[in-house]
Amino acid sequence: MARNFINLDVNPCKMCMPMGAAIAFKGIEKSILMMHGSQGCSTYMRRHMATHYNEPVDIASSSLTEQGTVYGGENNLKKGLRNTIQLYQPKVIGVVTTCLAETIGEDIDRLINEFVAEEEIAKDITFIPVATPGYGGTEYEGYYLSLRKMVERLAEEGSNDKVNIIAGNLTPAEIRRIKEILESFSISYNLLPDISKTLDAPYSKDYQKLPDGGTTIEEIKSMGGAKATIELGALLDEKISAGQFLEDEFRIPLYRVALPIGLANVDKFINALSKVTGAKPDPKLTEARGRMLDAMVDSHKYNAQGRAAIFGQPELVYSIATLCLENGLVPALLATGAKTSKLEELLKKDFGLAVEDTVIIDDTDFDTIRDYVNKLDVNILIGHSDGKFITERDGIPLVRVGFPIHDRVGGQRKVTIGYDGSVNFLDEITNTLLDRKYSSYREDMYDKHFTG
Amino acid sequence: MIDNKNLLENLLSAYPGKSMKNRKEHMMIKDSGEEKQHIMANTRTVPGIMTNRGCAYAGCKGVVLGPLKDVVHITHGPIGCSYYTWGTRRHKGRAKDGEKNFISYSFSTDMQDPDIVFGGERKLKQAIKEAVEIFEPEAISISATCPVGLIGDDINAVAKEAQAEYGIPVLAFSCEGYKGVSQSAGHHIANNNFMENVVGTKDREPKTKYPINLLGEYNIGGDGFEISRILDKIGYDVVSIMTGDGTLEEIKEAHTADLNLVQCHRSINYIAEMMEEKYGIPWLKINFIGVQGTIETLRNMAKYFDDEELIQRTEEVIEEELGEIKDVIAQYKKMCEGNTACLFVGGSRAHHYQNLFKEIGIETVVAGYEFGHRDDYEGREIIPDIEMTADDRNIPELKVTKDEKRYKLRLSEERYEQLKKEMPLGEYKGLVTAMEDGQILIDDLNHYETEVLLDALKPAVFGSGIKDKYVAQKMGIFSKQLHSYDYSGPYAGFKGAVNFARDISAGINTPTWNYITAPWKNDPEIEAELGGAS
Ligand code: SF4
Ligand code: SF4
Repeated sequence: MARNFINLDVNPCKMCMPMGAAIAFKGIEKSILMMHGSQGCSTYMRRHMATHYNEPVDIASSSLTEQGTVYGGENNLKKGLRNTIQLYQPKVIGVVTTCLAETIGEDIDRLINEFVAEEEIAKDITFIPVATPGYGGTEYEGYYLSLRKMVERLAEEGSNDKVNIIAGNLTPAEIRRIKEILESFSISYNLLPDISKTLDAPYSKDYQKLPDGGTTIEEIKSMGGAKATIELGALLDEKISAGQFLEDEFRIPLYRVALPIGLANVDKFINALSKVTGAKPDPKLTEARGRMLDAMVDSHKYNAQGRAAIFGQPELVYSIATLCLENGLVPALLATGAKTSKLEELLKKDFGLAVEDTVIIDDTDFDTIRDYVNKLDVNILIGHSDGKFITERDGIPLVRVGFPIHDRVGGQRKVTIGYDGSVNFLDEITNTLLDRKYSSYREDMYDKHFTG
Repeated sequence: MIDNKNLLENLLSAYPGKSMKNRKEHMMIKDSGEEKQHIMANTRTVPGIMTNRGCAYAGCKGVVLGPLKDVVHITHGPIGCSYYTWGTRRHKGRAKDGEKNFISYSFSTDMQDPDIVFGGERKLKQAIKEAVEIFEPEAISISATCPVGLIGDDINAVAKEAQAEYGIPVLAFSCEGYKGVSQSAGHHIANNNFMENVVGTKDREPKTKYPINLLGEYNIGGDGFEISRILDKIGYDVVSIMTGDGTLEEIKEAHTADLNLVQCHRSINYIAEMMEEKYGIPWLKINFIGVQGTIETLRNMAKYFDDEELIQRTEEVIEEELGEIKDVIAQYKKMCEGNTACLFVGGSRAHHYQNLFKEIGIETVVAGYEFGHRDDYEGREIIPDIEMTADDRNIPELKVTKDEKRYKLRLSEERYEQLKKEMPLGEYKGLVTAMEDGQILIDDLNHYETEVLLDALKPAVFGSGIKDKYVAQKMGIFSKQLHSYDYSGPYAGFKGAVNFARDISAGINTPTWNYITAPWKNDPEIEAELGGAS
């Protein structure tokens, strides 16, 4: 069963759509997000992003009040846009909706068109409206949908030598790692989105309202003429795939690969790069691969004792599950709050029998996850901070990864992708298992000799 | 010397005309030479300026209801709102023997597309049923989020039906996020419901001679634990706490207390007022933040009860507690002395924390509230002059009358009047009283204004929330979250003051600030080699 209760979500394992949009738009150069609705949503999302990224997170709101719900939110939205433009001078404004705006039926496409026609100050600004009702999906869909809308709006027909990389919801440090890999292939690329600096900016005396970095509009435009797209996301629906749009609209070959965590997934990513560039990977990469393999062989005996519960956004769950599988660590439970049947399909397809004893649930909550964790004798949790709910009750250790990590520092700097990242991550998992083994060993000894 | 007047003018000049006019009214430079100074507050947020304010749901479910540990709090709405209030305010709750504790849970009806189209009442009913069957709570609260009111779900009817069916209180809060102008609306909605449906529904015999309620204390970071420790030590009988580490069961008996202590005036003054009307319980504005604040509060309380034994016991406890912390605080004071702070928090903390900062030698130069009203700035005497806006009218004003059976006069009229002269009995004089001439009060501060003010004033510490914390820290200014304490606390009472002094001192004096300039930046030779680039 996906959830203990049909009508009650107890301790959610998901957030709402606009949250995903907020992260995606942070990866666009000099952009700002306007949430059309009442201000609570934007305040909450800023709060959550700030605890994870430890960066200022500016998200504007049209601050609708009761009056707006009766007469429509047009005035508030336009006024809000004027103020935001004046104070921030952004190049791009993403305009997304919240539940309130969607429920009262706001047509943001029309409102934006009007605004652009009416306002002088709107002339040099690129607007990207995205409908993201909170009840329409989770942050997972909100993230990819926003990327697709950016591309739909901006990509232009053409022909260039670039490769498009559509990044999944990775950490800023991981985006930096992706860039290093791309640079090792000496290709020019469009990386969408690029949060490497915007959500992990270096300390600098001169505070910048809109931090440097991010994908430029020109880059998104040129995506329509690239020679290939590599989309990091194995499970996403075509309707929210930017890569799919580029293929349908501009016939750009699409390689869809999983988040490059785990040897096989990194291989696939590197292989795709190799294919589209016609170049062999840099020896440094093959060396790193060899080292990872070496490490896998070395720690196999410990990992074989692991039974993991992996939870969070579907792409991350999928990739970590494959990392576990290739290391003999049983992914006893795979859980996501989003709705997807792909997780199961794909794993069965790729790993067949090996996932026989894996329970896979979607559209779930932590109350349900906890029950399975206990039923399935899980001894390690892998996922974002909210899993601590289970750790606190049942004492099962949690390896933190994904979004949000709000009770530890460094979530934004964590790297689990690539050969190096994967192997470090694997070490962390292995060591957590070892920690547990030794501490319970000590406890057993203590119980045996000093008590009872 | 910075000219604050110029500073504000500069700051305002970046706004488009109308917004400038609006924002200007929300700022004030204190000048006690003027007879009465005013500041605008609790009006609609200017859209698009990155306000720090939240919504009514945040104030109702997040702030006031959330800490009640024996209640299953169901958020009726799409998942986000419920997720974002899950454990984020760090209100702690310890269950006593046999008590239920749902504090680490988040319950949501997780409305989906079809629920928005066809209505969510059925789902809500089922969700309540599921919650009752599995969790067996003492009570259930239902908080509505934005879409609920718009699609016409009647949560009151659902609550009534469920209450009859399951025989436990089921309270419905129509705290849709768009109501009012900030979380403040939600506080009011929560207060009304407690008053209407909870307080006075169960009687209780006092355990000591001094039964009290502690209102507007939410046990953030364990503040309430420290306050309760002190009150227990002196011998008070805490009937109920609204709502930190509290239970709905206790609130039912709140009418049996003889004094209401009001910590956060903004969020809870409604119920304090109504309980005075209805049951005759006077309320006292207190402040358990800061050593002097705590001492003064304890002395006022003792004086209120006018009991020699209590007065003596209070002094003993004060002396004992002070003895334990005096030297440590003095130590930290040496390390912090001479610095300044800017405070922008909530509806009371920008005031409460000024004492504590002062005790470690730090002066507050700018202060403001996120969702305060004019009375929180100017004092309660301004209340009759505050104009009702359309947004205010959307929150029902609850009229209470004397409960003939339970009303009890606690003080004679003369004594009340006498005490009023000696302590803030039924009175709050506002933030402005804490400020010096020339200092800035600012309402609903936003990111842009934060930057300008911090850049010009360069305080050693900015006390605020997580959303603007990193704006400050990116500018090299240590920022302390005064909403959630950065996973630290408690900061209240005597022991809390030590924690606070330690944390502030560590923040101001962290060695990290010494490494801001890279060595090659100071070395002219290297700089030349690099061609001046960095
Ligand atoms: S679920 Fe809807 S109302 Fe709630 S925070 Fe998300 S967008 Fe806002
Ligand atoms: S404003 Fe409305 S939708 Fe947003 S968080 Fe508040 S209640 Fe939820």
